Amino acid sequence: MLECQLECQLTRMIMKDFLLEINVEELPTSYVRPALDKLKNAFIERLNRERIGHGDISAFGTAGALICYVKDMSLKQEELSQEISGPPKKIAFDENGNPTPQGIGFAKNQGVDIKDLKIKQMPKGEYVFIVKKIKSRPAKEVLRNLIPEIVKSIGFPKTMKWDDSGMRFARPIESIVVLLDKENIKIKLGNVPAKVIKGTSAGAYLKKLEKACILDQDKRKTEICNMIKSIQKKLGLDEYVDKNLLEETNFLVKSPVLMIGDFDKKYLMIPRDVLAASMSKHQRIFTLSKNNKLVNKFIAVIDGKGRNIAKMKKQYANILEARLKDSLFFYNEDIKKPLSAQTLKLKDLIFQKDLGNMFEKIQRLEELSSFISERINIDAAKREDIRKAAYLCKSDLVTQMVGEFPSLQGAMGMEYALKSGEKKSVAIAIKEHYLPKGLDDSLPETIEGAILAISDRIDNIVGLLGSGIEPKGSFDPFGVRRNTQGLIQILNHKSLRLELSSLIKKAIESYKGKLKISQEELEKKVINYTKERLEFLAPDTRPIELKQAVLKSDCNDIVGVFKRVEALSEISAEKYFLKAAKVCERTSNILKGAKSANIGAVNESLLKEDLEKEVWRAYTTNSAAIKNLIKEERYKEATKAYGEAFFETLHRFFDKVLVNAEDNALRENRLAMMQAINELYTNDVADLAMLPQIVV
Amino acid sequence: MKKLTFQEVIEKLNKFWSARGCIIVEPLDTEVGAGTFHPATFFKSLGKEKWRAAYVQPSRRPCDGRYADNPLRLQHYYQYQVIIKPTVPDIKKIYLDSLKALGIDLKAHEVRFVEDDWESPTLGASGLGWEVWLDSLEITQFTYFQQVAGIELDLVPCEITYGLERICMFIQERFNLFDLEWHNGVTYGDIHKQHEIEYSKYNFEEASIEMYSKMFEYFEKEANRLVDSGLMYPAYSFVLKASHAFNVLDARGAISQNERPRYIARVRSLAKRCAELYLNNKLTL
Repeated sequence: MLECQLECQLTRMIMKDFLLEINVEELPTSYVRPALDKLKNAFIERLNRERIGHGDISAFGTAGALICYVKDMSLKQEELSQEISGPPKKIAFDENGNPTPQGIGFAKNQGVDIKDLKIKQMPKGEYVFIVKKIKSRPAKEVLRNLIPEIVKSIGFPKTMKWDDSGMRFARPIESIVVLLDKENIKIKLGNVPAKVIKGTSAGAYLKKLEKACILDQDKRKTEICNMIKSIQKKLGLDEYVDKNLLEETNFLVKSPVLMIGDFDKKYLMIPRDVLAASMSKHQRIFTLSKNNKLVNKFIAVIDGKGRNIAKMKKQYANILEARLKDSLFFYNEDIKKPLSAQTLKLKDLIFQKDLGNMFEKIQRLEELSSFISERINIDAAKREDIRKAAYLCKSDLVTQMVGEFPSLQGAMGMEYALKSGEKKSVAIAIKEHYLPKGLDDSLPETIEGAILAISDRIDNIVGLLGSGIEPKGSFDPFGVRRNTQGLIQILNHKSLRLELSSLIKKAIESYKGKLKISQEELEKKVINYTKERLEFLAPDTRPIELKQAVLKSDCNDIVGVFKRVEALSEISAEKYFLKAAKVCERTSNILKGAKSANIGAVNESLLKEDLEKEVWRAYTTNSAAIKNLIKEERYKEATKAYGEAFFETLHRFFDKVLVNAEDNALRENRLAMMQAINELYTNDVADLAMLPQIVV
Repeated sequence: MKKLTFQEVIEKLNKFWSARGCIIVEPLDTEVGAGTFHPATFFKSLGKEKWRAAYVQPSRRPCDGRYADNPLRLQHYYQYQVIIKPTVPDIKKIYLDSLKALGIDLKAHEVRFVEDDWESPTLGASGLGWEVWLDSLEITQFTYFQQVAGIELDLVPCEITYGLERICMFIQERFNLFDLEWHNGVTYGDIHKQHEIEYSKYNFEEASIEMYSKMFEYFEKEANRLVDSGLMYPAYSFVLKASHAFNVLDARGAISQNERPRYIARVRSLAKRCAELYLNNKLTL
């Protein structure tokens, strides 16, 4: 007892704080946060692996410095003892208890004395073993190898080399500091040796760094955000801070200082998206608004105190105005003519090599969107709006503004449509048809926008795949996957029950023979990509295979797929679900093993055994009701009815009746029955045979 | 401190970089889009020899013409190019010193290094680095080259490209580049305004598409022929001519989105052939 206390105290005494600082030439802002997370996790993982005790580990920094701080690090590795077993006792020792050559050899190989050999009772008899202590090394020695390994493990989207060491990092490493309490740990990263810091503990060093700037990224971000909001409040403006710009700015500065500037009011007539792009994207300054309308002011976050704010403000405003002057010029040029006057120019704009021009594309979009409108019973007035939006949706591509700011496609289309006197719903559809631009982007809200967006996506997917352009691994430059993903998201978001296969057929048809790949093959390709993306987009299930089971069934109706995944997830632990799964599994197994190729319809006159008649009765009495439940999307009830209708009967049947009978006709009839039962559920709900270990 | 004229900025930079071991070479006499196209950067980045040079390079970007109407854009402007091969550990500090040498007060103003991985698709050159912002005005492109002509480099050069007009705008506090003082009261506009207006009109409206299309073909053919006969420098000058012809065609709106990458790939493959010839010639020397 006393001994243990002493030991614990000793351990506590030899714990010290540790600090690693990597000074680097400015990292790309988007790299810093992930790098800090990786740094922290790498330390946790590797210190645990190396049996080095530690307290809290945190990582913080700026674009120029990545810091990891470990509280209470043990100065030594924890000791470890390990049992190594050797030969049986009767081989290692003779009857008199003297070691045999085998016994001596084992001790020698393990580097221990004969007297350290111990005996242990094992299931097969008594065996010789030893307890080997793995020596604990000083932490600083372990760290010397560990740190370079940790730094390498950070990994960046893009790395570079800068000297002859071959070291790769996102930007050149300038210097490093490694302190275990007051001790400098001597390491090298590439050609850069750790700096020697004299007489300063890790804790004191950190304090010094913290005095010079706001080191902690989260603290800094909150500080910037609060500063902006307090100015907005003071000026009676909307309290709104652009999230992305805030995150970026947070890694452009270390000691944030705010500066409010203004620009000429006349530029406020430029569309909001254009202004916002010039300000936040090109100059990294925050737009300001009142009652949701931009005002002619901005906030810039600059680094460090003691700057010449008056002059900087003027500089920022001048540069902004020079840019806005360009934009205003483009805008005034563009609105001289109605948007529809641009449309014919799309004939000179290539869509894709082999796929014709953009004018042909909008013609297809008109065709496709009216096809969809018809299928989902859109009323006549809206159909006309959708057609109009389809005709105009690409016209902004040939305007000067979009030529200069390609990212404004759609937004400018909407703006110019409104200026040209088009209906609001038409204008919104033009903007929305580009949504979603990425996985987390917003989706079209209006039905007009959704239908046009679906048309554009299916046209892209079919066109690209049809001309032989396919993603290679993670490389998908033309966005086949992104388009497919968007298509699925929109259909699900707007709950549009649209038969995918007919949409694909229509899209292929509207290309009028321009595609290289045969219709049949192309349809299959599109379906495959859809399934792949569905697997990615649908929520995870337990078990995970349930999602795949749903996807194995009909995927023609995207909304239905999501509904099935959701419904089945909720009941996957129920007894009746497992029964249904067992029915799928047993019928599927027997069908997989079947030698007969031609399984047709069930012939009732061939039913011989009572048990098989019973199974068939179960089918004929229940199948209509089950089909109906499935049709009504009452998947829980359908699954319950299916499991209960067949589980017990089938169990008795398999026990007594041989499906693979010698007689061909008999066998095929039984297989036909199995197939009917199997497909009753698996065709339209899920192939539950894919689930692992179904135990009822 | 007296505000430097355009001419004095160049003198100061020459002096500054000359003192740091750079050869001050003269501009290339062919139309180019940037200082990187000069053989003193393009060829000298290749291979294992050390190299330091600095020079002014008049650069042409036909698409950027604005008929002298825009205070920030020109189709013909001046770059000051520095190439340090291999780069040195304190190169960023040296660069900041060069700004100080121009009289820029780095305490009163903020210099920001904003990620920008530079790439010249026509030269097959790429690197990692930044745009350097001085109070949100981009004044320099700072790049650690990793590849030139698609070839991974043995020694990593640092390329520093100053936008001379931008820096002068800051120093002289004039926000229209035509108002910049070149020297002795003569303005940038006096020298270049008419040139800008005429060339904007030429590039956007007058340049003969037919002629430039044909010239592109001729230049490409000639460049290939010259590489075959081992004449690297003449071959390279035709690569540059082809590149400029492409830029003019682009400004004329004669190149569709889809043809663009094809044209660029054609110039790049010519540049690559020249680079390979350069490396081969060195081996046989």
